[in-house]
Amino acid sequence: MNAGVYVHVPFCLTRCGYCDFNAYAGLDHLKAPYVDALVREADLVAPDWHGTPFVSVFLGGGTPTTLPPDALVGLLRVFRERFDIAADAEITVEANPDTVDESYLRALRAAGVTRLSMGAQSFDPGVLRSLERMHGPDAVRRAFAAARRAGFDNVNLDLIYGAHGESVDSWRRTLEETLALGPEHTSAYALTVEPNTMLGRRVAAGEVPAPDPDGQAEMYEAACGVLGGAGYEHYEVSNWARPGRACRHNLGYWERRPYLGLGAGAHSWRRGRRWWNVKPPTAYLAAVGAGRPPIGGEEQLDTEDRDLERLLLGLRVASGVPSSWIPAEVAAEYVGRELARIEGGRFVLAERGMLLASDVVLAASQR
Amino acid sequence: MTDPKRIRNFAIISHIDHGKSTLADRFLDLTHAVPEREMREQFLDRMDLERERGITIKAQAVRLRYELDGVEYVLNLIDTPGHVDFTYEVSRALAACEGAILLVDAAQGVEAQTLANFHLAEGAGLAIVPAANKIDLPAADQAEAVRELAELTGQPEDAILRISGKTGAGVEELLRAVIERVPPPAGDAEAPPRALIFDSAHDAYRGVIAYIRMVDGRLPSRSKIRLMAERLDVEAEEVGVFAPDATPVDALGVGEVGYLVTGVKDVRQAKVGDTVTLARPRAAEALPGYREPKPMVWSGLYPVERGDYARLRDALEKLHLSDAALVFEPESSQALGFGFRCGFLGLLHMEIVRERLEREFDLSLIATAPNVSFHVVRGDDVLEVHNPSEMPPPATFDRIEEPTVIATVVAPSEYMGPVMELCQSRRGSMEEMRYLSPERVELHYLLPLGEIIFDFFDQLKSRTRGYASLDYEHRGYEAADLVRVDVLLHGEPVDAFSSVVHREKAQQYGRRMVERLRELIPRQLFDVAIQATIGSRIVARETVKAKRKDVLAKCYGGDITRKRKLLERQKEGKRKMRRVGKVDVPQEAFIAALRVDQGSGT
Repeated sequence: MNAGVYVHVPFCLTRCGYCDFNAYAGLDHLKAPYVDALVREADLVAPDWHGTPFVSVFLGGGTPTTLPPDALVGLLRVFRERFDIAADAEITVEANPDTVDESYLRALRAAGVTRLSMGAQSFDPGVLRSLERMHGPDAVRRAFAAARRAGFDNVNLDLIYGAHGESVDSWRRTLEETLALGPEHTSAYALTVEPNTMLGRRVAAGEVPAPDPDGQAEMYEAACGVLGGAGYEHYEVSNWARPGRACRHNLGYWERRPYLGLGAGAHSWRRGRRWWNVKPPTAYLAAVGAGRPPIGGEEQLDTEDRDLERLLLGLRVASGVPSSWIPAEVAAEYVGRELARIEGGRFVLAERGMLLASDVVLAASQR
Repeated sequence: MTDPKRIRNFAIISHIDHGKSTLADRFLDLTHAVPEREMREQFLDRMDLERERGITIKAQAVRLRYELDGVEYVLNLIDTPGHVDFTYEVSRALAACEGAILLVDAAQGVEAQTLANFHLAEGAGLAIVPAANKIDLPAADQAEAVRELAELTGQPEDAILRISGKTGAGVEELLRAVIERVPPPAGDAEAPPRALIFDSAHDAYRGVIAYIRMVDGRLPSRSKIRLMAERLDVEAEEVGVFAPDATPVDALGVGEVGYLVTGVKDVRQAKVGDTVTLARPRAAEALPGYREPKPMVWSGLYPVERGDYARLRDALEKLHLSDAALVFEPESSQALGFGFRCGFLGLLHMEIVRERLEREFDLSLIATAPNVSFHVVRGDDVLEVHNPSEMPPPATFDRIEEPTVIATVVAPSEYMGPVMELCQSRRGSMEEMRYLSPERVELHYLLPLGEIIFDFFDQLKSRTRGYASLDYEHRGYEAADLVRVDVLLHGEPVDAFSSVVHREKAQQYGRRMVERLRELIPRQLFDVAIQATIGSRIVARETVKAKRKDVLAKCYGGDITRKRKLLERQKEGKRKMRRVGKVDVPQEAFIAALRVDQGSGT
């Protein structure tokens, strides 16, 4: 089955208060050994994945573009040698607007990167400060223009809504600014307060209010209206794309296609088994340096796990799930409230219903 | 058997924390009743719960040997429960005595419980030996305590002893006073035996152990005995005395205090207050004062885990064996499932039972808000209702009656205003007021029991900076303008939240319940109306708005495991929810909404 490769680069310029990813600022001295370790890990696991066709590669983080461009170029060359990566594979690199310029982006494009995912987050300076992002709105516009000049015709802008200090109006302006740039793809995430983050601690201490879920619901509906009105297809809870520009790699997660994760804390999935690498970069370096697979844990999904996962993933996307997975009375409840519809034997959430996907999962998976 | 002339049976009566248990410990020291290495603080409080709460739940008895002027006396110290819930048990313990030490903390003076227990003891015809305790404390005002005790007991000030249970000062003198002032027991040694059961305990191996006080005759071990109220003949497997641990003897004679092992498995067959005699020859008349235990406070107990119903039933049955006052009957609630409506002597008794169920039987319980028993009167018919949801519709009866109490409050006179305000806000009417001294006042209020079972005592304490003390005794049923308030979720009544309250407080109760529930009920796919109603009239309403967002924002990067686990936890939480009509209500919402400390008081 068509698979994807995810490569994790855990380095960032600064740590954002809301982020709970496996990412670190101040570990620059580990960058060179880390790139070497990614190559060694690819060597270690390549025999296991011999014959698997890979249709996407995703370099994420962290901030992959904190590495020098030749490091990324070199990694892509190595992966092509070790794995069976399709000629027309989608190859995405995540970028922070402050870390790239035209020459950097040209180098990526020349190395076969087809898609750039840029962490814009907002066009409102107040909201960017509230999110502790270093860049201003102009940096996004500059980086976006540079990407176009470098030849990228498939660019995503990541946005976050519902931070402290954001209103529905300021969010609408961010959406309009996004449309003005005209990316092929936009991800809009509701700010989530994760417990093990600076933001989580500040919310717990009462220093910052927790996001208001009703306010976020209004912003979500604004996004549906603005982006939908501009011709973007809403193909997943938080993702919109021009026709044909949905992210193939991320769809792989939701469609439960196999993936190989490389790098600290990266997860892999194949044939009912999920395993993940050790999280701290130093532990990862130590394992790979000793020639051991850097695996931190694994699980084999039983039927119940599988049922829950395919429901929670399937309900996120516009194609929905087979209607047989949803008990009739639960389906009736959602369809009756116009939160979902049944079409072609599938239970598909409406846009308002997508925002209640967890509720559907829980209602449908009660014994 | 001991010559009755050398026996003294006495109790110590006092307000809580006035030093009763410490004084009992000194008596044990002085009489070498307990080897030193086994001595521990508050020896008589045997249950863990008793030591933790610093109160005596069950009565206890101990036999002390003490030599005075060359004569050895047997002093039976009968410890009395220290809480108003157990007034009847106190009265039986006092009925087993000829005298009582009236103990007052010299730093506190006479308190409400001092008064109540003194009147009980005096009413039982006991010789009173008053003593001012804790004279070692710097804050002690011996002169004032002595003056108050003299005033209360009518004894001259020089008859009041001054002691310290802590240091032992004056304790020998107190023992001498007990021997000199408490009369020896009088009884007919030749008559068929009669013994009063003043307490009982349950032993897993030996069955019921009755604590008895011999009045007439002789009760030998291994005789065939009769429990007179139960009309039950059983074998006296063993009789003995507490010295201080159970020590078998051949027989108990007039005036002696000891125990009786009957082999019956259920304390209800050997109830406190019953009379023990021989099967033959049998005493003609039982000792006076027997009363069936009567539950005053009711609450529904439900297992948090629905599967634990059978375990809860077994646990209640086991507890019941050692607690004759506990009653229970199965009941079911739409909201809480299957459980039991349980009757208790009072709020403390309820808390103790609940704690024992959770501790000793490892159960996790939901308790509905406690209520009293109501009498629903229609013509000559009186229906007893102890579950608010069973209260019949208003038009079908003449009146409702509720139980009342006479409450005694002792407080510094500067707090008289706040105390009176509190009592009036609880529908109290003043019966009597008296100054104990220019600084302290004694107030007697007639109050509905239902108004004081929740937080009355806490309120009293907080309004008097902790200085007021409270005691009460039950005083019959009186008609009251009571209504049933129901709480509806999305149109469905939630039986567990129904309450019977006074009409003037009904709206307040309804408002508080709906406001609290609005905070506790999670948002659903639709607006949920929460209403409080009296009959068909809505007295309060709140709405839980429909939820709009319930989704994981991000779900990529491959860590699906974490997302799944998050949902699994939510799924488990949802499984534990109770469904009321179409509304899912978490267990915690019921528990929080039913918390006693915020009950239906004011």
